[in-house]
Amino acid sequence: MKSAWGWFLLTPPLVLALVFFVVPLVYLFWVSLHASSTSELYGAALTLRNYTDVLGDSFYLTIVRRTLGVAAVILGLCLVIGYPVAYFVALLPVRRRMLAILLLLFPLMVSNVVRAYGWVSLLERRGVVNTTLRDLHLIDAPLDLLYTPSAVVIALMTILLPYMVISIANTLAALDRRYQEAAQALGASPLRTFLHVTLPLSTPGVASGTLLVFLLTLSAYVTITLLGGPRSKLLVSLVYDSVTAFQWPRAAALAFVLLALALAFTGLILALLRPGRVQGAAR
Amino acid sequence: MNAVGSDMQHPADVQLVGVRKRFGAVAAVNDVSVDIERGTIFSLLGPSGCGKTTTLRLVAGFEQPDAGDVYIRGARVTSMPPYRRDFSMVFQSYALFPHLTVAENVAFGPRMRRVARGDRARSVDEALELVKLRALADRYPRQLSGGQQQRVALARAIVVKPAVLLLDEPLGALDKLLREEMQVELRSLQQRLGITAVFVTHDQEEALTLSDRVAVMRNGVIEQIGAPREIYDRPRNAFVASFLGASNFIDGVVVGREAASIVVETPGTRVSVPGDKASGERVRIAVRPERLRMARADAQGLPATIRDIVYRGPVTHFYMDSASGPLLAYQQNARAGDWTIGDEVRCAWDPDSAVVLDGARE
Repeated sequence: MKSAWGWFLLTPPLVLALVFFVVPLVYLFWVSLHASSTSELYGAALTLRNYTDVLGDSFYLTIVRRTLGVAAVILGLCLVIGYPVAYFVALLPVRRRMLAILLLLFPLMVSNVVRAYGWVSLLERRGVVNTTLRDLHLIDAPLDLLYTPSAVVIALMTILLPYMVISIANTLAALDRRYQEAAQALGASPLRTFLHVTLPLSTPGVASGTLLVFLLTLSAYVTITLLGGPRSKLLVSLVYDSVTAFQWPRAAALAFVLLALALAFTGLILALLRPGRVQGAAR
Repeated sequence: MNAVGSDMQHPADVQLVGVRKRFGAVAAVNDVSVDIERGTIFSLLGPSGCGKTTTLRLVAGFEQPDAGDVYIRGARVTSMPPYRRDFSMVFQSYALFPHLTVAENVAFGPRMRRVARGDRARSVDEALELVKLRALADRYPRQLSGGQQQRVALARAIVVKPAVLLLDEPLGALDKLLREEMQVELRSLQQRLGITAVFVTHDQEEALTLSDRVAVMRNGVIEQIGAPREIYDRPRNAFVASFLGASNFIDGVVVGREAASIVVETPGTRVSVPGDKASGERVRIAVRPERLRMARADAQGLPATIRDIVYRGPVTHFYMDSASGPLLAYQQNARAGDWTIGDEVRCAWDPDSAVVLDGARE
């Protein structure tokens, strides 16, 4: 009786998920297994060529590697910069913590496009950075800052940092101070308390921040296109390029490569950080 | 390090000297001085907000006193951070590290104190043996019951052989039966290991059961320090008397003095109480309900009328009204008379079982 009622309540979301998520995904996979066609969405012949091309071609592999490299650097920077900020934010009294988190969210209230153009005007050859450096006589010729992986890293990192900070800060703020006190009562110095207790207990926040930053990096498009330009493309740019060239099956295959990377990374993070072992803790 | 006067036979493991701590406008701990003898359990007892937990946290170093000094084993630790002080602590919530197994939790202290790996394993084994939890060494805290978690917390605290063990309402989260079992176990463990322990509780029965000495606190001040019996039988004031179980309060005027006693005139009768007060002074005396004897209306004593009778198994509680206000008497059922509601009685007690309280009115 009770479980029948439960199933009844679950039916609408299940149907929605099936119709708008599972079916399109399966269809997309089906598309990716076909050759391209000039007139149709996909050609008649079944083929694995879209996948073998992507995984066998050094052009694609370079871009896969670059995508992972950029994501890794962004992730590393977000962790290194974000953790101390989160630690500081978590120590604030509740009202000020809320204010700090609001401040951190402020940049997210500006459109991605606007922010990306902001970086463009800073980094371009006659942008703020180059003219300032030249006025200070530190450089003779303008530096190539724009359309490099570094530009993508800087711009994306600043967008994604708040996700990392807020994830970690929330976990740290919710952490019972008694854990740290218990460690100190057992003779652990503040540094060892941090390494042996605070850090491991903050893994749920680190894991969710890491996943957010990594997955949002993989799926970012505007920033990558505007700041990476034609020379510093990432996987997501290739999906778009294939679509504009009407190679729908190729675009679908690239999308699945992206999805596979995302899933693999998620699995890796969950296996490494094991956030579950900290959660469901006793009171 | 300056050692303060501790006599050789009963060295004090913990000493607080004139310790004060304010939180904003509130004096959480107001000029507290205590000596806690080696190998004893000392309880800080009081209602919530009385400063008992703050006092404990001052010993631990989680709070810094505004004035006064803290000594552990004769060494002044007032300005020492917690991790340099020789103590360990059991928290009310246990604060077991959720990412570590039972054995790793217990090994945490020895590890932080850089005990060699082999010795560490042996002492962890011993500590788990003491609390009978060796079988659960590889479990995580969340897989344990409340009572088991409590034992792990205890093992984690005693494994480092601290100069003093601090316990912050460690049994508060357990149900009554388990709590009483753990009280006995805690007491025997403490005595076997000869540990000095400071125990914070709001449960008077627990304090009386466990402690060698009890300090009753209110509003940041110690109202009375003494052995459980002393505190219970000879409360200094009405707060101590009523916080440790029920008490009958009887007001009167001193009308005469004998050797070490005073004679007090109360509405309806005269009683003799040990004490030293001037004639004509208004006093309040306290008598425990189990000390009150009930007799027929033709006997000597305080006249009262039975308002209510509550049967409680081994004892019966008699609620009575008298000219001095309500009275309560406990009678062992084995030798209780057959009284009925509305009976006129006379209440009497041995002079020694009454106490003259400080501060006539509270």
